[in-house]
Amino acid sequence: MPLIDLPSTRAEAWRWADLGALSAAAALAPIARAGHEPHFLDLPGARLLFVNGVLDEAHSVLDQVSLGHLRGGEHALGGRATGIGWSLRLDADAAADPVQVVHIATGGENHLPAEIVLADNAVAQVVETFVGAGWSNRVTRIELGSAARLGRAVRLIQEGGFTSLRDEAQLGTGASLVSTFLGAGTAGTRIDGAVVVGESGYAEVGGALLTAGEQRQECAVRVRHAEPNGQSHQLWRAVAADTSVASLAAAVEVARHAQKTDGEQSLRGLLLQRTATVNLKPELEIFADDVKCAHGATVGELDGRALFYMQSRGIPRPRAQALLTRAFVADALDRIGNEGVRDAFAADADAWLERTL
Amino acid sequence: MATKNAEAYAAVSKKYEWGFATDIEQDFAPKGLSEDTVRYISAKKNEPEWMLDWRLKAFRLWLTMEAPDWSKLNIPPIDYQDAYYYAEPKAKATIASLDELDPEIRRTYEKLGIPIEEQKLLANVEGAEPPRRVAVDAVFDSVSVATTFRAELERAGVIFRSISEAIREYPDLVRKWLGKVVPQRDNYFATLNSAVFSDGTFVYIPEGVRCPMELSTYFRINAENTGQFERTLIVADKGSYVSYLEGCTAPMRDENQLHAAVVELVALDDAEIKYSTVQNWYPGDENGVGGIYNFVTKRALCQGRNSKVSWTQVETGSAITWKYPSCVLAGDNSVGEFYSVAVTNNRQQADTGTKMIHLGKNTKSTIVSKGISAGRSDNTYRGLVRVAPTAEGVRNFTQCDSLLLGDQCGAHTVPYIEVRNPSAQIEHEATTSKISEDQLFYAMSRGLDQEAAVALIVNGFAREVLQQLPMEFAVEAQKLLGISLEGSVG
Amino acid sequence: MLVIENLHAEIDGKPILKGLSLSVNAGEVHAIMGPNGAGKSTLGYVLGGRPGYEVTDGSVTFAGQDLLELAPHERAAAGLFLGFQYPVEIPGVSNVQFLREALNAQRASREEKALSGAEFLKLAREEARKLDMDAEMLKRPVNVGFSGGEKKRNEMVQMGIVNPKFAILDETDSGLDIDALRIVGDGINRIMRAPEKAVLLITHYQRLLDYVQPDFVHVLADGRITRSGGAELAHQLEREGYAEIAA
Repeated sequence: MPLIDLPSTRAEAWRWADLGALSAAAALAPIARAGHEPHFLDLPGARLLFVNGVLDEAHSVLDQVSLGHLRGGEHALGGRATGIGWSLRLDADAAADPVQVVHIATGGENHLPAEIVLADNAVAQVVETFVGAGWSNRVTRIELGSAARLGRAVRLIQEGGFTSLRDEAQLGTGASLVSTFLGAGTAGTRIDGAVVVGESGYAEVGGALLTAGEQRQECAVRVRHAEPNGQSHQLWRAVAADTSVASLAAAVEVARHAQKTDGEQSLRGLLLQRTATVNLKPELEIFADDVKCAHGATVGELDGRALFYMQSRGIPRPRAQALLTRAFVADALDRIGNEGVRDAFAADADAWLERTL
Repeated sequence: MATKNAEAYAAVSKKYEWGFATDIEQDFAPKGLSEDTVRYISAKKNEPEWMLDWRLKAFRLWLTMEAPDWSKLNIPPIDYQDAYYYAEPKAKATIASLDELDPEIRRTYEKLGIPIEEQKLLANVEGAEPPRRVAVDAVFDSVSVATTFRAELERAGVIFRSISEAIREYPDLVRKWLGKVVPQRDNYFATLNSAVFSDGTFVYIPEGVRCPMELSTYFRINAENTGQFERTLIVADKGSYVSYLEGCTAPMRDENQLHAAVVELVALDDAEIKYSTVQNWYPGDENGVGGIYNFVTKRALCQGRNSKVSWTQVETGSAITWKYPSCVLAGDNSVGEFYSVAVTNNRQQADTGTKMIHLGKNTKSTIVSKGISAGRSDNTYRGLVRVAPTAEGVRNFTQCDSLLLGDQCGAHTVPYIEVRNPSAQIEHEATTSKISEDQLFYAMSRGLDQEAAVALIVNGFAREVLQQLPMEFAVEAQKLLGISLEGSVG
Repeated sequence: MLVIENLHAEIDGKPILKGLSLSVNAGEVHAIMGPNGAGKSTLGYVLGGRPGYEVTDGSVTFAGQDLLELAPHERAAAGLFLGFQYPVEIPGVSNVQFLREALNAQRASREEKALSGAEFLKLAREEARKLDMDAEMLKRPVNVGFSGGEKKRNEMVQMGIVNPKFAILDETDSGLDIDALRIVGDGINRIMRAPEKAVLLITHYQRLLDYVQPDFVHVLADGRITRSGGAELAHQLEREGYAEIAA
C-alpha cells in the first residue's frame, strides 16, 4: 500500500474528510475498463477522454484545448497533480463550444492538472464526468479576465475508489463563474475549492452530494471576496442514506476593503435513514462592515405533511419520497445553464434516487 | 460619514471604570507551577487526601498536553512559570458577613457598584428591600471572602458555599460530581484548572426546592501576575430551580493575566438552572497592552428527563476570550439554551459560542448569538450542534447575528452541524450587518446624539439576549454596552 | 358507501373521536358541523389515513373494504378524496407533475392506462378553466405562493381531475370570498353530485351549504355525532349557535 502523507482531520478544513478512503482507493487493484460508453453528451466542441489521467487520443477531439506541463500548486491533494495536463485558453472576446472531459479510472491512483484561462469577455463552458474506480485526483486552475464567463459542471459518478477535486479560481473585474457539482456515484469524494472574486465579480459554487451505503462525500469550498461589489452564492444540498456521511463546508470570506459584498450560503441536508450522517458548516469570515452576508442551514427529513398530502392524492409513499427528494436536489442542479447538461445531471440524480429509495 | 461613524463607535467603548487595584496584603504561593504549587494550594485549603490526589493526577496529565491552537485567536505564548497560582488576602479567609470584611476589599465592592443592594440588606436598612434579593459569594483572587444569606438558604436546604468549604463539609456530594461534566482531561485549560483551582462556588439545590433567591458570585482578580482558576459546581436535584449570576472584573495592569475557570452544571429530572454571566475583565488598552486571557470551560449536563439549562452571557471584557458554554442534553425532553452578546473593541479577540450535544429523545436547543465588533477587534461565533443517532425528535434553532462598527474589525461565524438522526429539525440562520447611516440619521433626527443613537441601535440588536438576564444584571449589562435605560425601552 | 361505526381515535394519546358512527350512501351529501375542537378535522384525517392519528376502536368500511387497513394512497386509489383545510406547499414539484403522478398512480392501481402528457394537460387545463383558475398556476410548484383562496380552488381542480367516488372536504369554504365560494360550490355539485358518488362536507359555517345543498346535517361535538337532521338543521345551528343544539 502506498504511503500517502495527508493532512490531519484535526485541521479545520479536513475535519470531516475521509482520508482513509483515499489511501484505500489509491491501493485499488487494476480493474477492467467497463464497456466503451464514453459518457460524452451530444454537444459540439472539444471532447477529451482521459483514462487514468492519460489522454486517449483516438477518442478525443482537442479543438481549442492543448496539452502541456502544469504545476499542481500548494494544496495538500491538488499539489500532487503536477505533470502533463489539459489547458483551455481563450483570447479576449472569444467564445468556445462546450468542452467535455471524461475521466475513466481503472484502479490505482491517477493525477491530472488542468487550467482554464479566459481573457477579457471570453465565454466558455466545461463539463466533466468521472467514472470507473480508483483514486482520481485533479487540480484545476481557473483564471477569468475582466467580464469573462465560465460555466462549469462536474459530475462524480465513479463506482469505486475516490475522486478528489481541487479548484483554484481567480475572477477578474466583473467576471462570472458558475460551478456546479453532482456527486451521485458510489465512490468517496472530496470537492475542495478556493475562489477569489474580484471587483463586481460573480461566483456561484454549489451542487448536490448524494450518498448511500458506507460512502462519504464532502465539499470544502471557500469563496473569498478580495474586492468590493462582488456577489457570491453557495447553494449545496446533501442527501444521505444508509450509513453514509455527507458533509458540506462552505465559507465566505470578505476582505478588509471588499465593501458592498453580497455573499449568500444555503446548505441543506436530508437524512433518509437514522444511520446516516449529514454535517454542515456554513462559515462567514468578514472584515468589512458594509456587506450583506447571510447563510441558512437546515437538516431534517422529508416534510411529513407533504408526504401525506401526496399520498392522499394517490401517490405511493416511495414515489412521493422520490418526488420530494428530487425537488430538494433540483435546486442545486438548476444552476447549470446548458439544458442538455442539466438534463444529463438530473438523470444521474434520478438514477441515484431510483437505486436508493 | 465614515469618520463620523468611527467617532460614534469610539464612544460606544466606554473607558474601563473598574480598573482600580486594591491595596491589601496578600499571601502568595511561590511563583511558578510545579507539583509543589499544587500541594501548597491543597494544603492551604486543608483539603482531604483524595482532593490532593485528584489535583496531582490532573497536573501530571497537563504536563503531557499542548495548548489548543484551533480557534481563530492569536494567543501570544504564555509563560506558565511566570505567574502566581495562589494569592490570598491576609484578612480572615472566611467571614460571616460583609461587616467583617477587610475595609479595603469592601471598598473594592463598593467601587464595583454591584453589591450595593446586598449591602443595604446586610445593614438591615428598613424599607430598603430591593425587588429581589441576591445571595452573594465573592471570590477575591484565589479566595472566597464572603458568602451572604447562608442561614436563610440553609433553611431552604440550599447549599451555597465556596468550593473549598464544600470540599471539607460536603465531600461526598462534591466528589460525586466534580469532574463528571468537565473531565480532568477535557482540554488544556480545564486540566490546568483541575490541578490548581483555588476557589469558586458550590451550589446544591435539593429535590423539589425552588431556590428562594438569586445566587451570585463576583470574581475579582486583583494581585499582579496572578492567575485565577475558579471552579464552580452547581447541582440541581430533581424538580429544583436555581438562577445563578456571575460577574467578573479586574484592575488595569500592563501584563496579561490568566483566567482559566471551569464551571460544571448538573440538572437532574425536571430541574432547571439559569446561569447568567456578565464578563467584564480588563480588556487591555487601545493598543492591546494588558488585559485578561479568559480561557473558560463551561458545560452543563442535562442528565434528567425534562431538565433545562439556560446560559446567558454578556461578554465585554478580556483581551482574549475563549469560551463555549455548552449543554449535553442526555435526558429525554431536556432543553438547552444559549444566549450571548459578545462585544469586542480595540484589539480584543473573542472566540465564543456553544455546543449543544443532543443525546436524549425530543431534546431541544436554542442558540441566539449577537456579536458586535468595533475597533481592530475580532469576534468569532463558533458553535456545534450535534444530534446522536438515538436522539429522536430533536429540534434546534440557531440565530447568529454580527454587527460591525467600523471597517477595521472582523466578524466570523463558524457553526458546525452534525446530524445523525433524520427526525431532527435543525435550522441555522446568520446575518451580518452594520449600523446603517439611515438608522443613525433617523435616530439623531429625533434628537439623540451620536453616542446615544449608536447605543440605542446596539441595544436593539442585542435585546433578544439582554431580555434573558435577571433584572439586576440586565441593568449592568446595558450600562456596559453603553446604552441608556430609556433607549432600551424604546 | 361509507360506514363508520363507533370510531375512537386519538392523537399523542389524547382521545379526540369518542365513538362516532355515521353512514353515507351513494348519491348523498352529508355535512358535518360543529364547534372548534370538536374533532371535525380529525375525522377527515382519520378517514384519509394521516400518520399520527391512531384509531383505537371502531371500524370504517368504504365500498365494502376495510378503509383503515389501507395506506393513504390506496385510499385515494379506492376513490376517496380528502380536500385539505390547509393544503400543503411543496416547493420544487409542479402542480402538473404532482397531479399527473397522482392520477396515473390511481389509474395504474385500477389497471387503467396512464394518461400521456398531452392528454393530461388537456384535462388539467379544462378543469382549471371550469374553476376559473389561471392555467399558468398549473405550472407553478404545488400551492407555493398561492393565496388561501387559490389553494382551495386548486384542491377543487385536483378533485375534478382525479374524479373520486367519495370526497371529504374539510373547511373548503374558509378563505373564500363570495364569488369564489360560488365557483367552488358549483364545482362540488358538478364533480360530485351523481347517483354513484357521495360527499362529506366538514364545515363550521352553513354558508357553503347555500351552494351545496346537503341531504343530511350532523352535529359533531366532543368526538361524537350528537344530533342529525336535514338541511334545516344547519340554519338552526347558524341562528342558535352550537352551545344549545350540540348539548
